[in-house]
Amino acid sequence: MVGGSRREEVEALREEVTHFLSTVERYNSNNLPKFERYVQLQVSENLYDLEANLAILKLYQFFPNLYKPEILYWILLKAISNLPHTDFVLCRCLLGPTQLEDLNVMRINYLANLLEHCQFKKFWSEKVQDATLISQISGFDDAIRKFVCHVVNITYQSVDRAVLREILGNITDAELKSWIAKNSWKEEPNNMVYISNQEEHVKTKNITEKITFETVSVVM
Amino acid sequence: MYRRQSDRSDSFRKDSFNRGDDRIYEDEFGYSTEGFGGGEFGKEEGGFDPRWQTQSYQCPDAVAKFIVHLYKAISNRDVAEIENLYEIRYPQLTKDYFKEEKWPYDVTHLVDDALFQTLYRELYFRHIYAQLPTQLTFSDRCNSYSNYCELFNLILTSPEPIDLTLTNQWLWEIIDEFVYQFQSFSQFRRSPKLNNEETNYIRDHSYIWSVLSVLNVLYSLIEKSNINQQLKAYFSEESADYVAGEFGKSPLYKMLGYFSLIALLRVHSMLGDYHLAVKVLENIDLHKNAYYCNVPACQITTYYYVGFAYVMMRRYADAIRTYTNALLYIQRMRQMFQAKSYQNDQVNKQTDQMYTMLAVCLVLHPQSIDESINSVLQDRKYAEKVSRMQQGDLKEFENSFLFACPKYLSPVPPALDAPPDPNQEPLHIQKTIFLQEVGQQIYLPTIRSFLKLYTTMPVSKLAAFMDIDQTVLMECLLCFKHKMYNVVWSKGISSLDGEFQAGSEVDFYIDKDMVHIADTKVGQRYGDYFIRQIHIMEELHRAMKKLKF
Repeated sequence: MVGGSRREEVEALREEVTHFLSTVERYNSNNLPKFERYVQLQVSENLYDLEANLAILKLYQFFPNLYKPEILYWILLKAISNLPHTDFVLCRCLLGPTQLEDLNVMRINYLANLLEHCQFKKFWSEKVQDATLISQISGFDDAIRKFVCHVVNITYQSVDRAVLREILGNITDAELKSWIAKNSWKEEPNNMVYISNQEEHVKTKNITEKITFETVSVVM
Repeated sequence: MYRRQSDRSDSFRKDSFNRGDDRIYEDEFGYSTEGFGGGEFGKEEGGFDPRWQTQSYQCPDAVAKFIVHLYKAISNRDVAEIENLYEIRYPQLTKDYFKEEKWPYDVTHLVDDALFQTLYRELYFRHIYAQLPTQLTFSDRCNSYSNYCELFNLILTSPEPIDLTLTNQWLWEIIDEFVYQFQSFSQFRRSPKLNNEETNYIRDHSYIWSVLSVLNVLYSLIEKSNINQQLKAYFSEESADYVAGEFGKSPLYKMLGYFSLIALLRVHSMLGDYHLAVKVLENIDLHKNAYYCNVPACQITTYYYVGFAYVMMRRYADAIRTYTNALLYIQRMRQMFQAKSYQNDQVNKQTDQMYTMLAVCLVLHPQSIDESINSVLQDRKYAEKVSRMQQGDLKEFENSFLFACPKYLSPVPPALDAPPDPNQEPLHIQKTIFLQEVGQQIYLPTIRSFLKLYTTMPVSKLAAFMDIDQTVLMECLLCFKHKMYNVVWSKGISSLDGEFQAGSEVDFYIDKDMVHIADTKVGQRYGDYFIRQIHIMEELHRAMKKLKF
């Protein structure tokens, strides 16, 4: 299929799925094939729709005989790639006991747990074992790097270049340079990377009481 | 095949629930050909429960009078009298005559009116569920279900709005009870106490109390009333008359629609779908809806479930705001509940649960809250829990969760051959997920307590305090920032909206190897305290004036 018609398919499907979601059609198992195709497209075209994916998990909850493990793995991996949002937790809350005991699901949960703990170095080394599962998800590694950059952005004013490279998954020097540029960070001479001026955002707050006229008016 | 929405309202003919060819959602959403009412268990099986058929109970005069009065008040649309009979007289009679037995089932000799019968029977079954749980039979469960179907059929399939006026409190309790009995049945279905006959009956009549039939009723009420369109208009300060439609204009349909939204919030929460739970309220501004719906029990239920969903979504700041609003609301409304004792237990329980969850949230995400709520948490009952949780006692988090969480249920019946394993129950699953989240944050309070003491501190020094490796600490610090940076609602009607913010008390950033700490210092607050004292004085003053010497 050429790129253009793929995009059309995505658009048409998105519209249809959005319609399902706004009505009771979201509980109609006859719509599952469309929902599942939509997940497939999210995976191959690097798109994301939490709401639709949750609706699929709900249908699996209601109709366990229609459950497809492959689709679930994709949904969970896509949810991880949307960190720092808590989508993975939301998806997991809809799973049943057999799904949670599935080895692949447990493995994905393990990876998610590492990311939630911000144990990025370990994540990258563990991830290698799951290459077959993960390589299907287009743009997965970069999505995780985006999350790493998010955490770096809110934590550091400046950070050691080597540390940064490591938590981004031991990327090449050129890649590191491109991530630094993408985030408008600055390389400094002493092997440090300047992230941003945190003093402006993170400062001691003194909350003093402000009494508005409205609150006092009730007793006046 | 599915039908377009616009076709749906037409398909709600009187018998639409009963006919196989008119099923709305094919097999999954339609009801079996026996339909809503066909499966009256006791009747069909030739008297599974003997009391069902031959109720020769002579009801006391006062009770007979009450039933006739209630019918008259409803016929006359006398709201004040309905309220009095329903909220005061009915609990009183129950206390006097029906502490240990059921209300009379058949009252056709007193009032011969189909709609009234279903309303009365709804009360009849509700009483058994609430007060006589040991007498609750399998056939009661099934018959109550068909009674609800009859009632909702009358309401939903009427070609024009039915002419019925009930108080909002009553309507809320119908919907609330409907969801409760659904939940009760879902749990009952998994109980090992079921006998063969019952198991077979459930298998052959899988639509009874099925999640899809319950959702179908709630969605139908929502659609019929155009409640979402009405709420949208209301909260953008436009007139709802243009969008309400013929049915939506009737207070009966409007409020049933509104309560169905809250019921959906509850059902989705019980299924673990927190996102959808909050999403169904997207047209309700929780800060203003007290004017829209004057039923306190409904308000409190809304706050309770929304707050809990926020906790599971790791939106602690929002959960804290929701719980605080709820608890302040309860403080204000206290006196009203005390007058109506039957509502008290539920409110007290939910209040306690919300304080518990609020305590959990404040341990995970410390921030300053309203002084009067905070003072309750200083109370021994909560203070001990809080200090244990602060020390990282996972067991205490678990206890709090088990005490305060919603009832979880599985939407499908258990496998018939395998007895349910407690480790596979929905409650266990949700608890595990919650505890995993807490586990990821368990050392954050310790880090916080060290950070609080300094304004700057080298990473190495903190690592020495914590007695961990510096690289491990670095990860902990990143995790601290990540977990304390969450979506927070700031504006807009939908409670799902929000943006990422760091709202917790202690914050920091790392510059090379140095941690720079920013604390939040809260000045003493006087305003609230004085205003409260002034209110108390005024109250006293009023009371004194009324006294006659």
